[in-house]
Amino acid sequence: MFLEVQHIVKSFGEEKVVKDLNFSLESKQTLSILGKSGCGKTTMLKTIGGLVASDSGKILLNGEDITETKPEKRNIVYLYQEDLLFPHLNAFENIAFGLRLKKIPEGLIKEEVNHMLQSLELEGQADKMPTELSGGQRQRVSFGRAISTNPSLLLLDEPFGSLDTGTRQRMQELFKKLTAEYKITSLFVTHDLKEAVLMGDQIGFMHDGILKVYEDKKDFIQDPETGVQNEIDFWGGLI
Amino acid sequence: MRINWKSFVLSLAVLLILFPFIYLVFLSLASEWRFPEVWPSYLGFKNWVTVFGSETGLLESFFSSLLISLSVAVFSTASGFLISKAVFYHPKKRILTLLAYFPYILAPVVFAACLSFFFLKMGLFGNMTGVVVAQFIIAFPYALLFFSSFWNEKVKSYEDLVATLGGNKWQTYTKVLLPLAKGLILICFFQTFLISWFEYGLTSIIGIGKVQTLTIKVFLFIKEANYYYGALSCCLLIFPPVVLLYFNKRYVFKKLV
Repeated sequence: MFLEVQHIVKSFGEEKVVKDLNFSLESKQTLSILGKSGCGKTTMLKTIGGLVASDSGKILLNGEDITETKPEKRNIVYLYQEDLLFPHLNAFENIAFGLRLKKIPEGLIKEEVNHMLQSLELEGQADKMPTELSGGQRQRVSFGRAISTNPSLLLLDEPFGSLDTGTRQRMQELFKKLTAEYKITSLFVTHDLKEAVLMGDQIGFMHDGILKVYEDKKDFIQDPETGVQNEIDFWGGLI
Repeated sequence: MRINWKSFVLSLAVLLILFPFIYLVFLSLASEWRFPEVWPSYLGFKNWVTVFGSETGLLESFFSSLLISLSVAVFSTASGFLISKAVFYHPKKRILTLLAYFPYILAPVVFAACLSFFFLKMGLFGNMTGVVVAQFIIAFPYALLFFSSFWNEKVKSYEDLVATLGGNKWQTYTKVLLPLAKGLILICFFQTFLISWFEYGLTSIIGIGKVQTLTIKVFLFIKEANYYYGALSCCLLIFPPVVLLYFNKRYVFKKLV
């Protein structure tokens, strides 16, 4: 397995936010994680990304124990719901940011970023500052910035949560295209049922700090805890 | 004929604001101006030539003040920025922020009197280093409180993002935090420079007359009733803040708006 998370526990004071987290993920796969607000999804992602230290447990990435590794050495990029574009840099420089940190030659950066802009359908937007871009464009630049560094693992924390329905749908399609093109392994956290089903090769459901990963999508749909059955009953009742 | 009251009042206000400054320059050029003479018997650069000839040590005071204020502004802005970050992430940040107000509870003269024993013991009494340290004690909490508004959850998210993109602490500062805070840093530098530049009470006690900043010199001239030199030193006193204000307006505020 490419990613193995073993018995991760994280508490804040008296409150146990993540309880015995156990799951694994194959390379180039996306695991969608569904859960309500406050169930521990963000803490789980931040623990895997190294931004929050776990109390106990182990994280293995490509066979290597990264539990104690600093976030900058993990090659795991964490994407927020907010695009967090650097306001002092234009779209090109925002995408190039991670590459510049790695001191990649200028010519290669130009080539990579221009290719990325093309993949993100952002041709002609390179010189625009973040304030001149729309919500969807900003989120695409944010994606580009994360993917251009060629991360081992991408952690997405409700990345489309702030977008309108149409833009969200386009972004979902673009994400699927990019994950295939750049062979990305990712954990995709969302509280949207449909999005979880659409985006993930595998689906997990998190409740009260415990993550349950389903063997296949059918198990997920049939589990009454996930709320899929309620949803089906609701829409079925309208017909 | 209709009078445009708005522009009239505006012109009057500008004139009233500018008058003291114009008068100071005029006074610095004058000498032997006795009542009831309407115009001074001498008007020229005699006072300025004397100053630049270092007869009264004004130029020396000007450069001393400049050195002290620049040191205080650089140290307090830099440390204020860095330490305000540590305070923001500290679990007891409220108490620490409250402590930063402490130097302002006391009048600067009283505060200096409280500190004088320690300064004497450390050999910082009556020298420039002592004055810089004393003024830093006043300017640093200001910088700390000033930058406390910069740190928030979004900035924390930026820091985390840079880390996951592979950036180390130095890169986080140079490529993100400093560019984000550039405007605030320049304003803080300007404000702490001014705090130091016009500081009198603390400087006079810790400097014990041996460190004569321009502000101290102005008061000395006024005490001696040498209005012409007093006006001249006031001109020198105003000049650096005006230059800073110009740069602030031109390069900082324009970018902040």
